Amino acid sequence: MNLNFLRKVVPHVLVLMMCTYALHAQRTISGTVTSADGPLPGASVVVQGTTIGTGTDFDGNFTIEVSDGDVLEFSFVGYVSQQVQVAGQDTINVFLQVDSQLEEVVVTGYGSQREREITSSVVKVTAEEFNRGPITNPSQLLQGKVAGLSIYNRGGNPNGGPTIRLRGLSTIGANVQPLFVIDGVIGASLNNVDPNDIETINVLKDGSAAAIYGSRGSSGVIIVTTKGGSVDEFSLQYNGQVGVSSILDQVDVMTSAEFKEAGGVDMGSESDWTDLVTRDALTQIHNVSASGGFGKTSFRIAANVREVEGIINRTGFNQFNSRTNINTKAFRDKLTIDFNSSYTKRNQDNGNSEVMEHATYFNPTAPVYFDDTPFREFFSQQQRDAVGGYFQPFGLFRSYNPVAITEQGRYQTEVIDLNYSVNANYQMTDWLSLTGQFASQQSRNNYEESRSTQDYHTQRATSDQRGNVAFENTNYSFTLYEFYGTLRKNLGLIDLTFTGGYSYQEEDWFRRRIGLIDFPNDNIDYAYNIGASEQLVEATSLPIGGTFSNKAPTTKIIAGFARLNLVIDNGIYFNASVRREGSTKLGEEQKWGVFPAVGLGADMNKYLGLSFDRLKFRVGYGQTGSLPVDSGLSQIVYNFSYGANGTQQARAFNPELKWESKAETNVGIEFTQGNLNATVDYYTREISDFLLEAEVDAAVFGFNRRWQNSGKMTTSGIELAADYNVNNVWSPGIVVSTYSSTLNEYIVENGILTGNLGSPGQNQTNMILVKPGEKIGQIWGPRFVSVDAEGNPQFEDVNGDGNLVTGQDKALSDDVDFEVLGTGIPTIEFGFSNNISLGKWNINAFFRGALGHSLVNTFRAFYEPRVGSQSSYNFINTKLAIPELKAANFSSLYVEKADFFKLDNLTVSYTFDIPAESVISAASVSANVQNAFVLSGYTGPDPEPSLTDGGNVLAPGIDRRNSYFTSRTFTLGLNIDF
Amino acid sequence: MKNFIKYILIAPLVFFAFGCDLEENLIGNFTEPFTLGGDSGGIVAPPISEGEFDGSNQTVSDRLQGAFDKLRDGTAGHNNYWSIVTVAADDIFIGVKGGDWYDGGTWVQIHQHTNDATHEGTGNAWNTIYNSINEVNNTLAGSGLNDNDMSQLKVLRAFLYWRLLDTWGNVKLVTTPGTDVPQSSRAEVFSFVEREILDALGISEVSAMMDLSGSPLTTEDKKYRVNQFAALALLTRLYLNAEVYTGTAMYQKAADAATYVIDNGPYMLSDDNYSIKNLAKRPVPINGVSDSDNLTGYAAVFAPNNQDNPEIIWSVNYDPATGGGMNFNMMTLHYASQNTWNFSAQPWNGYQTVTDFYNTYDASDARKSNFLEGQQYDFQGIPLIDWAADDFDESGAQSLSLVYTPYVNELEPNTCRQCGVRMHKFSFRQFQKDNMDNDFPLFRLGEVYMNRAEAKARAAADWSQALPDVNMIRRRAGVSEYSSISGDEFLAERGREFYQEALRRTDLIRFGKYGDSWWEKPASQDFRILFPIPQSQIDASNGTLVQNPGY
Repeated sequence: MNLNFLRKVVPHVLVLMMCTYALHAQRTISGTVTSADGPLPGASVVVQGTTIGTGTDFDGNFTIEVSDGDVLEFSFVGYVSQQVQVAGQDTINVFLQVDSQLEEVVVTGYGSQREREITSSVVKVTAEEFNRGPITNPSQLLQGKVAGLSIYNRGGNPNGGPTIRLRGLSTIGANVQPLFVIDGVIGASLNNVDPNDIETINVLKDGSAAAIYGSRGSSGVIIVTTKGGSVDEFSLQYNGQVGVSSILDQVDVMTSAEFKEAGGVDMGSESDWTDLVTRDALTQIHNVSASGGFGKTSFRIAANVREVEGIINRTGFNQFNSRTNINTKAFRDKLTIDFNSSYTKRNQDNGNSEVMEHATYFNPTAPVYFDDTPFREFFSQQQRDAVGGYFQPFGLFRSYNPVAITEQGRYQTEVIDLNYSVNANYQMTDWLSLTGQFASQQSRNNYEESRSTQDYHTQRATSDQRGNVAFENTNYSFTLYEFYGTLRKNLGLIDLTFTGGYSYQEEDWFRRRIGLIDFPNDNIDYAYNIGASEQLVEATSLPIGGTFSNKAPTTKIIAGFARLNLVIDNGIYFNASVRREGSTKLGEEQKWGVFPAVGLGADMNKYLGLSFDRLKFRVGYGQTGSLPVDSGLSQIVYNFSYGANGTQQARAFNPELKWESKAETNVGIEFTQGNLNATVDYYTREISDFLLEAEVDAAVFGFNRRWQNSGKMTTSGIELAADYNVNNVWSPGIVVSTYSSTLNEYIVENGILTGNLGSPGQNQTNMILVKPGEKIGQIWGPRFVSVDAEGNPQFEDVNGDGNLVTGQDKALSDDVDFEVLGTGIPTIEFGFSNNISLGKWNINAFFRGALGHSLVNTFRAFYEPRVGSQSSYNFINTKLAIPELKAANFSSLYVEKADFFKLDNLTVSYTFDIPAESVISAASVSANVQNAFVLSGYTGPDPEPSLTDGGNVLAPGIDRRNSYFTSRTFTLGLNIDF
Repeated sequence: MKNFIKYILIAPLVFFAFGCDLEENLIGNFTEPFTLGGDSGGIVAPPISEGEFDGSNQTVSDRLQGAFDKLRDGTAGHNNYWSIVTVAADDIFIGVKGGDWYDGGTWVQIHQHTNDATHEGTGNAWNTIYNSINEVNNTLAGSGLNDNDMSQLKVLRAFLYWRLLDTWGNVKLVTTPGTDVPQSSRAEVFSFVEREILDALGISEVSAMMDLSGSPLTTEDKKYRVNQFAALALLTRLYLNAEVYTGTAMYQKAADAATYVIDNGPYMLSDDNYSIKNLAKRPVPINGVSDSDNLTGYAAVFAPNNQDNPEIIWSVNYDPATGGGMNFNMMTLHYASQNTWNFSAQPWNGYQTVTDFYNTYDASDARKSNFLEGQQYDFQGIPLIDWAADDFDESGAQSLSLVYTPYVNELEPNTCRQCGVRMHKFSFRQFQKDNMDNDFPLFRLGEVYMNRAEAKARAAADWSQALPDVNMIRRRAGVSEYSSISGDEFLAERGREFYQEALRRTDLIRFGKYGDSWWEKPASQDFRILFPIPQSQIDASNGTLVQNPGY
């Protein structure tokens, strides 16, 4: 928005409005508008049916010119509007009630709006609607609750982060997770918030709402508001949960008898490896909070303790979290100060991510210990001792005793987060307030790994490079300064709110790692004595253990922003915003981007003369941008190489690197009639100049890849949310969403394949198509038909030209007999919640599902064919297994539909009657089961979509061998309010 | 209302007028190139030696180091230049072992010459060579170089372009970093390579009478660097193949260049008089036979401690600490063989030797040290085992023992896991890390002799002209001398001598046998003598690269 524009237009608009004033004036009355909190400044006072109006001053006073037959309408954000007949009165004092129901206030960027005034797709989820049970990550609260918000934590690793996507893939090489704004602090980490402390979560789904956040809002914005206290209302709450989890599903393998029958190598014993490395895992969660206030200060203090065991032995975490929110007022209530702080300390046992893989296909006839095998004479005592007595089949590729992996290593992470923010709001006049905000996040992540000198999984137990110790410390700090002013003005027909501000963000990131190997024996844990490493003694710098530090440059985002909200005639809502933002990460001439947005909403009831309880139409358009994840991509940098005693160019650089831009249009209709609420949204968006490391001419740039603005992608989708209430007993609610993304342009015109199946034996087997004109996430390969006499797979002549072309090298040629074998992205995702209230009993059942997606079951692709050389590993043996097949080639055989429908969460709770004189004011108990049942034809451990392949967002749909086993959890909970 | 307007006007001013410092300060990266020590100034201590078997204490420090060290990329590792030129020939292959080593069929395609432009290893080779050229160009664009430095860099770049000339033919000749140039024809690339080397030698053409006194290159035998003899050795290889590259034979020049090296260079064949310590020796006798204390002659040229071998003219410096990139041990050995040498990583069981090729060696040929054959034992002398059920020999007999057999059942889909003798020319040492110590000779005197033998024979159209030099090589190998020789016998001799040295494909092409059928490979078409330019590079080049004919 440029200054000249404002200078010219604003005065004209204002003059026009003042003219209308003069025409209708008759006599002057005055009065005061108050609320429970005292005088209400900035409230709107309008003569009904006219454009005459004014606003209250700082003390809630107003004067307005009226005639006797007029009706005055008093309104204010968050309060129930009131109409008062003038009828000869000279003074009208009005008390506005807080609007608890219909006119909910929704927090948007740098302010809040009444729900009906919002012109973009915003969903509010309150604590009552959150998912129940032992939530270990706050994002789980929202799983399935918001149409278009996909949250998947495949397998449910307690230490694994979920993949969160709002409206699918919003960017390719940049930040794909939505921006979290916690108590106004942008970019805060959700992991620092205990689920129990959250009051509401607002999800800003479309670009017109997110544009005010600029680049950081490009993947959507999730605004979290934590609970506060209120003055004179002291309360002490406890809630606790105890749960037990057990393994729910894993990929089917042969029993030792089946394995021997199938020609497997008999190692003379019997072991159920999955059983040996898993357990029934206990979880307990305790939460205590106190809230209240004195005079003008209110507070809430909460402390949470979580102890969560993973179902795999020696995995889990302990977490302590505390949060303090204080709100106080000063200077005749003109100044409001909010202070929030949180502290989190978490200790994780991560385990080794390959345990699941080896437990799945380690030979079922192998013993746990060497002493139990008849083959022990094949190995020297020295060799057997070198691996700690655990049986290891020396000389097999990628075959390690899973019990040994679990017991011979320690993989621990300590996370310490300290966050605090101060927000000061000063009400300058009745129409102007200024806000200043400072926020700081400090995060430390200390990783410690210590592997025994006898751990064969390091591959070095029998060499002179035994053992492994690594310390890795990551320090992250984020500082935010923001200043903004908000003007609220009633201009008769128009309620105007203008917000403008400045934002400065600074991020620092520093990582150090010390990695050492080569320890003498297994007598001690060398994490506590790294000086014993022969590497250190020799002071050589072998790169094997990996010792390094790297410090990212300070990255800054500097932005100015402004937004105008107009409520016209109390039925038409207009929003416009602009943000100009600069980043350190881009090319010298490309650092600044401008992101505008505009939205319009209308109360259709009012203008079409309809009589629904609510019928709102809205449309919004917004642009946002994305930045690359890494720094320094626009500058030439050199690596130092000791072998070279000098430098070599480290990578190709791109001085022209610029903003990725995203433009999104959203159209929505909101409808309410009686007990039915429904919202439908349609959106379409175009991402251009997306950031990706793409192929370039190696002869020119010296490297064949560099970060480029590489192409264009469009996504469109529809979202539906509806809820209903039957006799105040049963409240069902459903959210459904669908979207599809198409790659329109890509720097490599013929397209590429990505998502390599990998080792053993399936390198250069890329399975996911990335091609201009095609949808994102298509699994591409040959169609399996049958097995020939030799045990080789036979493929379909898909194009029917009589010439069978199925080589991976021909995957993109015109005559290839490949086809789309499935898509990694679901067509439809839905959540179905049911709340049944029967007196003191409450039943909450939440179903969730996704349809239309497929997964490449990589366990099967590698280990299901009865290949002779695999006969010393277990065979995967699902219902889809073909015993005659003796060669492993990727095909449709391993691509499975993974549609699923599950009872995600079932909670039954009972609220006790508490006598009035009791010290307890409320109490309830609950029983909960997570993953009660899963309906799916998928043979792998977990049918949930895999939206990213180790960070490669262009390769969804691959179920890798490190997927955690899924579990079912039963929990008992107790809530007491004192 | 006035105030209101004023605030509305001021607000954007405040917000948009902020002058902002958005400079990106890469505090953890080098943004300027430099070199330590040596003739670029300053003092640098030699790296602490890993022992007598490690060449790192020989490392020179100069401004050329970064560029020359790029040669480690692709010269001796998997899925890059070495792999594609080697597996495309008739001596080494990678069998598909059931579920292992299928890898989209790439290694079968290379062996059978059915690879196309999307082949990954070919793409890696192309990218690696151009990345190395980029580093040479960067170094040449820098300051502080004397004439000798610049000439060495130009010969290095000419060598890299020779690889492109030999493998793809029609490529871009980029000499300034970051600039694009049109694609050159194979003949133009040949001329460029020839001219660059001749300039470095300070002569206009190679002849028997040439005078190198005006050469900016020296005759000093400085390790891992280029002198006059290395430049001439490259010329012998270039001229020997000139007929393939340009259609014009230049055998006399090849012979003259070779003769100059043989007569004037300080190099000698590594024969019985040259021994070094055997670093693979196990502490106990194996089946009653102790491993030898020393490696002598031919085997010493390629040993882990080969850095001082007198036969080497120009080599690539590999070591496990700071000069990784050679991992033949990982590439070829069976998983269980880890325990023979106590490697710090488990090998991959990939590269094997074609039976027909192995059988061309006489039983007494000293060059059989190129291979690992028979029952394998661990460090303690205990026989190694392989659990897989597909272990069988020619008779079909099965056992748990790990025996590398000359016999190979098939190329795909189920090559038995222990079939095929393994690559052992660049031999291993005890407690080897996964990166090896052995230096890789790009040029050695043995090749110069063989190049001269062939050049003389071809120039005179008389193979007997090759006999003196060939017999020199055969004598060193401990096999009987030839009294007469045919072209086919000469090619076979080159095959035995240069196994695993990445020359076989070029030799087969020069002898017109590259398109022949051989084990598990049908006859292939003529256009296959050039590899396809990687499709991803053609796509990225905006039409400035045209694919080689036939693809």
